[in-house]
Amino acid sequence: MNVDGAMQANLQGAAVAARQTSGIAREWRLASRTVRFSAICLALFYLLAAASPFFASYDPTYQNREMPDCPPMSIHLNAPSDWSRGLFYTHPMHMNDPIARTFVADASRRLDIHLFTRGHLFTTDSEREPYFMLGSDGLGRDLYSRIVYGSRVSMCVGLIGVLITFSLGITIGALSGYIGGTVDFLIMRWSEIEMSLPSFYFLLALAAVIPSGMSTVATFFMIVAIMSFISWAGFARIIRGMASSVRSRPYVEAARALGASRWRIITRHIIPSVLGYAIVAATLSIPGFILGESALSLLGLGIQEPAASWGNLLAQAQDVQNLARYPWILIPGIFIFLAVMSFNFLGDHLRDRLDPATSA
Amino acid sequence: MPARLQMKAESWRKRILPAITCAIAVSSLAIFPGCRVNRPVNDHEKNQILYTAMASDPRTFNPILITDSTSGALTGDLFESLTRLNPVTTLPEAGLAEKWDIAPDSKAITFHLRHGVKWFDGRPVNARDVLFTLDVIYDPKVPNSIRPAITIDHQRIIAEAPDDYTVVMRLPKPFAPLLYSIGIPVMPAHILEPVWKAGNFNHTWGIDTPPDKLVGNGPYHMTHYAQSQLVRYDRNNDYWMKDEHGGQLPRLHGQTVTIVQDQNAEYLRYLSGQIDVYGPRTEEVSPLLDKVKNKELGITVQQIGIDTGSLFFTFNRNPRHYVKNGVTNPKLDWFTDLKFLQAMAHMMDKKSMIDLVFHQLAVPAVANISPENKIFHNPNLKDYDYDPKLAADMLEAAGYHLAKPGVRTDPKGNRLEFDLTTNTGTPERNEMCTIFKQDVESLGIKVNYRPLEFTTLVDKLDSSFDWDCVLIGFTGGIEPNDGANFYRSSGNLHLWNPNQPKPAAPWEAEIDTLLDQGASEMDPNRRAPYYWRIQQILHDQLPILETVRQQRYSSWKNSLENYQPKVWGLYKPEWMQFKAD
Repeated sequence: MNVDGAMQANLQGAAVAARQTSGIAREWRLASRTVRFSAICLALFYLLAAASPFFASYDPTYQNREMPDCPPMSIHLNAPSDWSRGLFYTHPMHMNDPIARTFVADASRRLDIHLFTRGHLFTTDSEREPYFMLGSDGLGRDLYSRIVYGSRVSMCVGLIGVLITFSLGITIGALSGYIGGTVDFLIMRWSEIEMSLPSFYFLLALAAVIPSGMSTVATFFMIVAIMSFISWAGFARIIRGMASSVRSRPYVEAARALGASRWRIITRHIIPSVLGYAIVAATLSIPGFILGESALSLLGLGIQEPAASWGNLLAQAQDVQNLARYPWILIPGIFIFLAVMSFNFLGDHLRDRLDPATSA
Repeated sequence: MPARLQMKAESWRKRILPAITCAIAVSSLAIFPGCRVNRPVNDHEKNQILYTAMASDPRTFNPILITDSTSGALTGDLFESLTRLNPVTTLPEAGLAEKWDIAPDSKAITFHLRHGVKWFDGRPVNARDVLFTLDVIYDPKVPNSIRPAITIDHQRIIAEAPDDYTVVMRLPKPFAPLLYSIGIPVMPAHILEPVWKAGNFNHTWGIDTPPDKLVGNGPYHMTHYAQSQLVRYDRNNDYWMKDEHGGQLPRLHGQTVTIVQDQNAEYLRYLSGQIDVYGPRTEEVSPLLDKVKNKELGITVQQIGIDTGSLFFTFNRNPRHYVKNGVTNPKLDWFTDLKFLQAMAHMMDKKSMIDLVFHQLAVPAVANISPENKIFHNPNLKDYDYDPKLAADMLEAAGYHLAKPGVRTDPKGNRLEFDLTTNTGTPERNEMCTIFKQDVESLGIKVNYRPLEFTTLVDKLDSSFDWDCVLIGFTGGIEPNDGANFYRSSGNLHLWNPNQPKPAAPWEAEIDTLLDQGASEMDPNRRAPYYWRIQQILHDQLPILETVRQQRYSSWKNSLENYQPKVWGLYKPEWMQFKAD
């Protein structure tokens, strides 16, 4: 009996543990194939961003001035006897017409591609004889390495923007909705003033006053932060509406009757009730920041050369002539597309799971 | 039975498929007129009418009030001027004035007007029209951009007419640029003098004027203007110019200028044959050359020369920016240190700029005045070779040592670092800055590069002076004195240190003197040495670091004969004609 009881307790404990640890696995089972694919994509992109120096083959700003607009190079598997030299090889390319920028591969020569060498996933012996997996840009820089480094900016800009906007929006919205009265009135009028700021001219003014010694990446994140500080208003108004409807629910009334402090009610009752919506809205607004980054680059406010972001890499594909002759410069667009779609699918899925009331 | 069936299917294919193909082809022609490659019927040749394109609408048809280039181009063929510019020799040549004499003291010029030139209404063009035009230009109530160009030491030119076909202009001092700047359109006094006396000149001949009311004396008269669509011209059958066989000029019967706001659209119109001539952008040259090679379209592509302007990096040497409260920013010491500037000049990788940025359609620039300016360009300057090793050695020798790898300091121990900027919206300049930044950073000098929106940049250059290094371009004219505002130490376009009360450096003082001497010598060939010396000084003292000049191309239909574009304009435009089939 004793033994049996202990075993039962053990079993129960194991079941609880199993239920807890299997949270992610259960979510994985519940998710559709699209959502799984999205999650893998995003995980991969964040991995690229976190370990850019490893994944990139070369310094993303190194200009190989003999090889502008080089097309993606072929890759071949070495014979097993040559695996000591490298698993793969490519044929070096050189430009045969500098005006039209056409390249020919030198089939008589082999350029070995080394895996896990000098801290890179794959690279060649020298930057001077590179392997351009996705081709090169107009200054002869490796497009693949630039995309890898560009993921740092493009994948982070959404997170930072959303983090600032939503933490401000939730706090201010919940306060305003729960407290009501004059506080609500003042906060809401203030948010209306912020919403009516013409953001374009605001950005132009910002560009003129930013100290010139800052690096472009620091400048850019400062602008994203400032833009987030002024864009919380719209979100706060929705949260405020939800909060003011929650405050008259019986459980909130009960908490108040039991003498709970205002702070406790807001943090324990109001915010959790709007969090589901907030997470969904946040996920769905990240793509907006990613796309917005490329628009800012055009104004001279985004990431500037030689630093890379997916937005400014794609900006080179604006010219129809360039696009027709060097179609691989469109590849960063595929990455933007995948990231934006993944966030959207994931957001939709989260809405189904967290906030079923608003999903169609 | 299977054989029969197959037969049927085949005949179906034979009959229907071509029909469908034809239908698709016809409908696509109808839907996408811009995509047609060969025009089946081209009436430009038959009617001898030249079709060209212009990027924007004119703002006025009054040649005196014009400030924009479009209005100037659209009225240019309506009005003749005293002298005109020969785009091949770059010298002034006869226009309304058949010839001119310069007085021995160079303070008076006598213009002898051509006899038999008529206004469109039949009245003769005479000296009274010239005097009237000058009076209007000097009238303070008529705002115009010509006045400063013919004002010498704040004084106007005194003009008088001893007879109907002679005009004498008296200058306060010898002033050579006048022969170029006097190429102003002459206005009809018999029509506009009453209007001017009534004070209505500024409202005359706006773009709402019916085109037949514009009375000029040039090779074409305007017949139709539809806003944002087109301007039509017919030839002036009474035009004074005749060809060598006495034939009437111009040979074309008319011109139509279509207004196409977008250059991509203009390019497509040229490909489809809707316009007859086109000035391709750098990236369009190679596809057009391919079409010539494949004998498509029946067009010619030709290099007509190189850029007449100058595209350069310059370092700020303005003490008003760098000296604050008695403390001098070390940057001022670097940017006025010739050794530092020479090292920078040796870091200018012009070959890469030409290859990477301009697809080899550019040449290195050495002198500030373009080689296209045949008289005033100084061909004897030796370029600073791209040599990072030499640059590093020069910096070391001048006391700028490498403190640790990647960090170079000045003799006082300050880290070398400067801001670099250019205007946004020009990918070429952006790429040039990226190349320069990479090379300079390889010397251990930190470069903070950020392009700025054009108006912000101009504000920094001309009022706040808050910049270190900038890549900027200037357009160039034939008359070097037009750049006086840039060369002169007191000029407001003297970018590196504008509006100086007195020259900061001895070489700037020398440039000021050379400018005065150059302007008062009338003979172009005797003037040239002064401007050659100015270019030599700029090259030696390096206030500006020249980069490259783009090659200019022009393309036109093979059926257009005698079309001779030059960088300074069309040569003998009156001789243009379409080949008779």
